[in-house]
Amino acid sequence: MQRSFIARNPSVLIFLALLALFTLVVTVLSEGAGAGFISTSFIKTLGKTLCLCLIAVAMDLIWGFAGILSLGHFAFFGLGGYMIGMWLMYERTRLIVVESLSQTELPPTDAEVIDAIGTQIFGVVGSSDFPLIWAFADSLVLQLALVVLVPGVLALIFGWLAFRSRVTGVYLSILTQAMTLALALYLFQNDSGLRGNNGLSGLQNLPGVTASQDIVSLWFLWASAFALGAGYFLAAWVVSGKFGSVIRGIRDNEARVRFLGYSVEAYKLALFTLTACLAAIAGALYYPQAGIINPAEIAPIASIYLAVWVAIGGRGRLYGAVIGAAFVSLLSTWFTGGQAPDLPLGSYTVKWVDWWLVLLGVSFVLVTLFAPKGIGGLFDLIPTKKGAEE
Amino acid sequence: MSMLLEVSGVSVSFDGFKAINNLSFNIGSSELRAIIGPNGAGKTTFMDIVTGKTRPDEGRVIWGEKSVSLLKMSEAQIAQSGVGRKFQKPTVFEDQTVQENLLVSLKNPRGWLSVLTYRPTAEDLGRVDALAEEIGLNDQLTRLAGELSHGQKQWLEIGMLLAQEPRLLLVDEPAAGMTVTERQHTTDILVEAAKTRAVVVVEHDMEFVRRLNCKVTVLHEGSVLAEGSLDHVTANQDVIDVYLGR
Repeated sequence: MQRSFIARNPSVLIFLALLALFTLVVTVLSEGAGAGFISTSFIKTLGKTLCLCLIAVAMDLIWGFAGILSLGHFAFFGLGGYMIGMWLMYERTRLIVVESLSQTELPPTDAEVIDAIGTQIFGVVGSSDFPLIWAFADSLVLQLALVVLVPGVLALIFGWLAFRSRVTGVYLSILTQAMTLALALYLFQNDSGLRGNNGLSGLQNLPGVTASQDIVSLWFLWASAFALGAGYFLAAWVVSGKFGSVIRGIRDNEARVRFLGYSVEAYKLALFTLTACLAAIAGALYYPQAGIINPAEIAPIASIYLAVWVAIGGRGRLYGAVIGAAFVSLLSTWFTGGQAPDLPLGSYTVKWVDWWLVLLGVSFVLVTLFAPKGIGGLFDLIPTKKGAEE
Repeated sequence: MSMLLEVSGVSVSFDGFKAINNLSFNIGSSELRAIIGPNGAGKTTFMDIVTGKTRPDEGRVIWGEKSVSLLKMSEAQIAQSGVGRKFQKPTVFEDQTVQENLLVSLKNPRGWLSVLTYRPTAEDLGRVDALAEEIGLNDQLTRLAGELSHGQKQWLEIGMLLAQEPRLLLVDEPAAGMTVTERQHTTDILVEAAKTRAVVVVEHDMEFVRRLNCKVTVLHEGSVLAEGSLDHVTANQDVIDVYLGR
C-alpha cells in the first residue's frame, strides 16, 4: 500500500494550514470583529483575491498540467457570477417590491408583484418582462445548481467540438478567446436578457439579511477561503495519481498517450469541464463581493491576465498559481487604485495607473525569460522540503 | 498458423503521391519480423495505417481471431485491442519518473473515471519492477525519464509498450543512435518479446536486422518487393537493384 494522499503531498497540508491561518488573522483584525485594523472594503478585496486564486488553480490544472492554454476561463467565471447574481437581484427586488406594495390598501396579486419586479430590473433596458433565462431566478437552490451547470455544459459542448476536431496549441487558445469574446458581445446586447452593459448590480446585498456589510464581507471571505481550500485539495488529488500522470503526458507528448490506448479527447474534455466548474464557483463567490457584474468582466483580456498570473506564479505547481494570482492581482489593485506613489523623473512623472500595465508586461517577459518556473520555482531552491505560501 | 494481422490490398496517397500501393502483409501471433526498405518506401506510413493514425484510401486491415477491421477504430481503441507502437524518436514522459512512465502504461482500465480513482496495487508495482528488470532499468525507477540516456529512453519506451501487454508490437528503428552494446541489449529485448507476441521491427541497419535473425519483408515504393530470410532477400536481384546495390 502507498502512503496516504496527504503524506505524499505535504505541500497541500501546509497550504491549507496557511490559508486557515490567513483567514483567522484577517477575521480577527477586521472591522466586523470590532478590531478595525482592516477595513471592510479591504476584506472584500482579500475575499475577491481568494476567488481569483481559485480560478488560477483551475487555470493551472488545464494549462500547467494538461498543457491546454485556455484563454477563455473567465467566461465560465463570469457566467457563474451571472447565475448567482440573477437570484440575488431578483430576490432583493422582490422584497423591496413586496414591502412597498404592502402600503397599498388592496394586497397585491402575484402577477402584480412579478410585473413590478420585472419593471424594476429591466427598466434600464426598456423592458419589463422576464426573459426565459430568468425562469429559475426565484429559487436559490436552482440558481446555485445553474452556477455549475451552465458553465459546465458550455465547456462540455465547446470542448467536445474543439477536442474532437483535434484543435490544439495556439489554435485552441484563439478559439477560446473567440468563445469568451462572443459571449461578452452577446451579453452586451440589451435583449440578451441580462441587462446588457448595465449588468447585474447591488449583488453585495444579501436578500433578507440585516447584518451589516462589515459582517457579510467576513462571511464571503470565509466562503471564498473554504472554496479555495476545497478546490485546491481537489486539484491536488486529481493530479496526484495516474490521472495526473496521463494529463501531464498529454501536455508533453499527446501522441504517446494516444498510442498507449488512452482517449486523449475524453481526458481533455473531462478536465476542461471540471476546471470550468471550478472557475464558475470562483465567479459565483467573487461577484457578490464585487457588488456588480457586467459583460466587460468576461472580455478576452481578463482570461489573458489569468494566464499571466499563472505564468508569473509558476505553472504546473498549484501553489504557484495561487501565489501568482494573489501577488499580481493585489499589486494590480494597489497600482491602479491610485495608492502607489507617483514616480517623478524630472520632466516626466510616472503615474502608475497608466504605467502598471507596462510594468506587468515587462515582469511577464522577464519571468518567461529568466525564471520560467515563476515565483513558485523559488521553492525548489529550498533543499528537500517543498513549501506552500499564501 | 492463424494470422494475427492481415493487411491486404491497402493503398494510400498523399497529394497524388502513392505512399502505399496495393500493399499486403501478414503476421502470425508469435513472430518476429523485420521490415526494411529505402527512404520513402512506406515503412512509417504502413505503421500509421495499422495504428489508426492514417486512413487508407482502399484495402483491408483485419485483426485477431475475430477478424475485426482496424479501419473503423480510433488510435486509442486500436492500442487497447493490443497494438503497441514505438516511435522512431524515443517518446517517454520526460518529467515523470521511470516508475510513473511504466505505471501509466500498464494494462489497466483506460477510462478517465477509473484512472481518477486508481491507486497502484502491490501487484502493479511488482509488474513494474519486473518490467524494469527486463529492460535493464531496475535501478533507475525513481529517476526522471528526461535524465536517462538516449538508449535508456528507447528501452523505457519498449518497456512501456510491453507494459501494455500488446499482441503486436510495432517498433520503428529501435537501434538508431545506439552504441554496439546497447544494440545487443535491444536485440535481446525484442527477441525475448517475440516469443509471446508478434513483433514488427522497421529498420535501416542491415547488421541489426541480421542479429534479429528473422523473416524479412522488403518494401519498395509502397509495396512488398520480396519476403523471406535475410539471405534470401539479399540474394534477390530486384532487392539488389533498388536497395542494396546503391
